[in-house]
Amino acid sequence: MTAAVTVSRRIAASAERLFDAWLDPAAIAQWMRRDDSGRPSVVVSDPRVGGTYSITMIDRFGENVHVGAYRVIDRPRELEFTWRSEHTVGIDSVVRVTFEPDGDGTVVEVHHTRLPDAAAAAVHEAGWTELLGRLERTMNGMEAA
Amino acid sequence: MGEHQLDAVLSAVADPTRRAILDRLRAGDARVTDLASAFPISLNSTSKHIKVLERAELVHREVRGRDHVLSLRAEALGEAVAWMQQYREFWEQRLEALEAFVLAGDAGETGDAAAGASGPEASGTEPSDGGAR
Repeated sequence: MTAAVTVSRRIAASAERLFDAWLDPAAIAQWMRRDDSGRPSVVVSDPRVGGTYSITMIDRFGENVHVGAYRVIDRPRELEFTWRSEHTVGIDSVVRVTFEPDGDGTVVEVHHTRLPDAAAAAVHEAGWTELLGRLERTMNGMEAA
Repeated sequence: MGEHQLDAVLSAVADPTRRAILDRLRAGDARVTDLASAFPISLNSTSKHIKVLERAELVHREVRGRDHVLSLRAEALGEAVAWMQQYREFWEQRLEALEAFVLAGDAGETGDAAAGASGPEASGTEPSDGGAR
């Protein structure tokens, strides 16, 4: 495990189409939301470099507000914005999204970096990786039980 | 573990000296005085770091006669790992939802659109106090 979280998914749509879905408030409201409420998020977005956004996701526990600012808007290849919520321990993390054409589809990759320095530092530390890995397996085992 | 406790853990391990103390305790229990002599910091400073670790429930202190013996309580770190893992799951679910949203749009303005956008999300199970948000 590393300090950054990276996930990717190939989606059968053009890079432009997918890129725009990351910036259009109406689109964000539909797909960037918590799983269990069925309610769209409330999105305010000023999609230009330096512009800010807020996404209020609604779930059964209440509202979760995410805010940030756009740092890179390079349609349709790359998007980067800061990401802050109460769950990032009140500091800015950075989300970078790349869109790589792949045949008739696009590989969308999300790199979430600068997750709170504390957690990042913890997993960076040599020697801790093993311990954390063991804890993770233990924990997963407990969850599966 | 509540949010405040997780904050305490993350804050505690953000400091290199405290990580070094935890690392030392991985090898086995240690007395406070042993730790103070092992690090280039004062006993007073060591005590402060240990208190932070105790508040985060990463370290347990047992008084044995005149000695204060510290041991590692690694359970709390598991929460930090879970916290990171939740971000992975969060983005995986978001990309699934993005796919459903975009493909539903491609299919035209049919009744499938709304169901398609929310369908893949319905199967997810969430930790009891929520995932990464």
